Amino acid sequence: MNKAKLSLGPVLFNWKPETLRDFYFRMADEADLDTVHVGEVVCSKRTPFLEPFIPEIIERLTAAGKDVVLSSLALIMTDRELNAARELAGAADILVEANDISVAALMAGRPFVAGPLLNIYNEGTLATLEAMGAMRVCLPAELSADAIASLTAAAKVEIEVQAFGRLPLAISARCYAARARNLTKDGCQYVCADDPDGMAVETLDEVPFLAVNGTQTMSYHHMDLLGDVTNLAARGVGRFRLWPQTFDMAGVARLFRAVLDRKMAAPEAEAALARLCPGAEFANGYIHGRPGHLFVEPEFIE
Amino acid sequence: MGQGHASAATKTVTPPFSPMLLLGVALRPVRPQLLQPVFDHMLAIIRRRHPDILERMADYADKPVCIDPTDLPFVILLDPNPEDPRLTVRREIDPAEVAATIHGPLEMLIALAEGKVDGDALFFSRRLVIEGDTEVVVALRNAIDGAGIDLIEDISLQLGPLGRPFRGLAGAAIGLIGRMRDDFEMLRTSLIAPAVKDVNAQSARISALEGEVKQLRKAARRGGAA
Amino acid sequence: MMAATTPAALTRPELVCPAGTPAALKSAVDAGADCVYVGFRDETNARNFPGLNFSRKELGEGIAYAHSRGAKVLVAINTFPRAGQPQLWHQAVDDAARLKADAAILADIGLIDYAARTHPELRLHLSVQAAASNPDAIRFYAERFGIKRVVLPRVLTVQEIAAINARIAPVETEVFVFGGLCVMAEGRCALSSYATGQSPNMNGVCSPAGEVRYTETPQGITSELGGFTINKFTPNEPAGYPTLCKGRFIADDKASYLFEEPTSLNTLTILPDLIKAGVTAFKIEGRQRGRAYVAAVVQAFRQGIDAVMAGRPLPEIDLDRITEGGKQTTGAYEKAWR
Repeated sequence: MNKAKLSLGPVLFNWKPETLRDFYFRMADEADLDTVHVGEVVCSKRTPFLEPFIPEIIERLTAAGKDVVLSSLALIMTDRELNAARELAGAADILVEANDISVAALMAGRPFVAGPLLNIYNEGTLATLEAMGAMRVCLPAELSADAIASLTAAAKVEIEVQAFGRLPLAISARCYAARARNLTKDGCQYVCADDPDGMAVETLDEVPFLAVNGTQTMSYHHMDLLGDVTNLAARGVGRFRLWPQTFDMAGVARLFRAVLDRKMAAPEAEAALARLCPGAEFANGYIHGRPGHLFVEPEFIE
Repeated sequence: MGQGHASAATKTVTPPFSPMLLLGVALRPVRPQLLQPVFDHMLAIIRRRHPDILERMADYADKPVCIDPTDLPFVILLDPNPEDPRLTVRREIDPAEVAATIHGPLEMLIALAEGKVDGDALFFSRRLVIEGDTEVVVALRNAIDGAGIDLIEDISLQLGPLGRPFRGLAGAAIGLIGRMRDDFEMLRTSLIAPAVKDVNAQSARISALEGEVKQLRKAARRGGAA
Repeated sequence: MMAATTPAALTRPELVCPAGTPAALKSAVDAGADCVYVGFRDETNARNFPGLNFSRKELGEGIAYAHSRGAKVLVAINTFPRAGQPQLWHQAVDDAARLKADAAILADIGLIDYAARTHPELRLHLSVQAAASNPDAIRFYAERFGIKRVVLPRVLTVQEIAAINARIAPVETEVFVFGGLCVMAEGRCALSSYATGQSPNMNGVCSPAGEVRYTETPQGITSELGGFTINKFTPNEPAGYPTLCKGRFIADDKASYLFEEPTSLNTLTILPDLIKAGVTAFKIEGRQRGRAYVAAVVQAFRQGIDAVMAGRPLPEIDLDRITEGGKQTTGAYEKAWR
């Protein structure tokens, strides 16, 4: 029996607040998850719409026995954003995930989660964050299984790895959802809400490549580590993160749990995942030290 | 990385109309072998005065590069193996023999080698065309740029007491070529301007049509969804 | 627009110039650079390009040349050490200290910690790759590790930079004034490795040359990176290097430069605003660009800064020839860019 835990990452997209609330209620009631992240990571312009719903979301999740983590913004530039980060860091009784180093600095001395959008590539940085109070570290998407294993061997705290969903690859001050529609970020009309799974970006040869989520650029392919999680767990990874998409996330969580518990073989789970995510293309290249968009067949894994 | 993408693309790089082109026409009957001693000499100078070029190319020892001055009737094959570097002049080269090819007017290639123009800028303006393994070309450009080569200075140093007059002569020749180039540029522009204008008008028409087609396609999709 | 404060004494900013080779270092110093920044010839720096950068011997000679002419040399060791193999990065920091570099420019928290503990005498600058974009982040590096200067990410407006400067003194700021423009927050972008397996953070390269391929077709040139088409050019169109975020892509049914056009940052026209914002140092991007570029850009900015400091109007300098695609932008320094 594997002890690896499952986390649901924060919803990175601009979903309608009611949709978001219903989604979290469903996760609370139906999904086999240890931890659920809540909070706006990508764009501070979205926060005011989301905020009124957060207390009831947290309440419902907590009542359902899920641990709740509040995730911070990834790129903090303005005073308003910094003040929001300070407020977040001051929140009592709730664990905070730092996705900008300033939030980790604000949390220093108290337990916090070091998020996947911090640059934690090696043991030295890991040790510094542990010393600051990080009680869990979610690693950047780029790392290979070997790099991950090197870090789990050195870690005093739990190591988390991103395992499902479109990968957050870059963050910018510029909004590409707005730019694609000839708008600027200031007058964006919240067009990012038109694409609840991100706006597909293709090459000029119409090959799917990336996805745009406002100021964030993501992978077009969905990360899928179903074939890799048991190996990674054996190499010391204590937790896997599933990024919310509009698919049946309770179903996705069920598949990961089943594979980790060795109740389902990876190929069978892969087939089930493809059915749960119609139209999705999958990738796991980073874990195998390859370009991130590639999918390395599980049978080739040692 | 750097798994030499030997390109099979056909080479159709039109040389710009220039004084070098005339020189090229003049050189056409010359057998490349007759020019080989010049390049042997040049390589000897490089090995003596700029050993760091080959040192910077050490990772690319087995990646020969073809340098193709588009206005001259021959190409130069650079084999950067530090044990046995070679600079060979040939009438032509099979792309399969080399890791990469750089096409460009000789004047540009010399200016590039001397660090007098910015390689990226040359490429942005499309006056240089690279085929094959871009990495080895970037390495070569950086290695040469880093050496601080001054071809005229180097050759005149080799010439000993004859160096000073050579330097003067070469300087004058380059000035002359530059002036001739400007004149030719004017001539060339006036010759092809009408054709360019026509092409521009044509491409404007095409993009207008493309726009219309896209709009129609979009409207059709929206209509279907409604 | 900047508030029209006219402080009696503006501080003269340092001009920090790139050098990918010893020849470029000499060009930069001779053209009037106050500082030159360089990297070792390996993956410890974010311009780990083929044939570029300095051996230990070349760095020693370069530092001697710069110092003899009153210029400083900064060594960029600004990639993120590989898990389990920090030796190459530690050695780079040790050598920068041993060769008496005027500062090391670092990005990784663990490496900064190593440098601060092992070489307390070595001046530390925070690389743009650390993406410290607010006063709290900057204070973290200053208070914890004694960072003296931070290179600000290219995501901030001039007003935001002025506000940061007012709150982080005595920590100095350095901003980019010219060159290739990252449109993403630097050090927080994995697009390159998604396409090619190699990234700025891990390998010191973005859109690596070894993964680039140009194909000539009757319609023009197609540029590819890691097998993905990044752009297509008609025969008369200026072509560019296929840097991923400067490519043309299809989104929302239309092809466009979705992230950024092939363009160069050029702040000559807003130099007075940047100086008034209290920036300590102006940085020129382009260690990979060669001597001709270095000399031209350094001269232009030397003249620009000297004119502003002397109260003269800005000189008109045309840098079109050396900008990507011949296009220029003031980038994120003006809010409309976002």
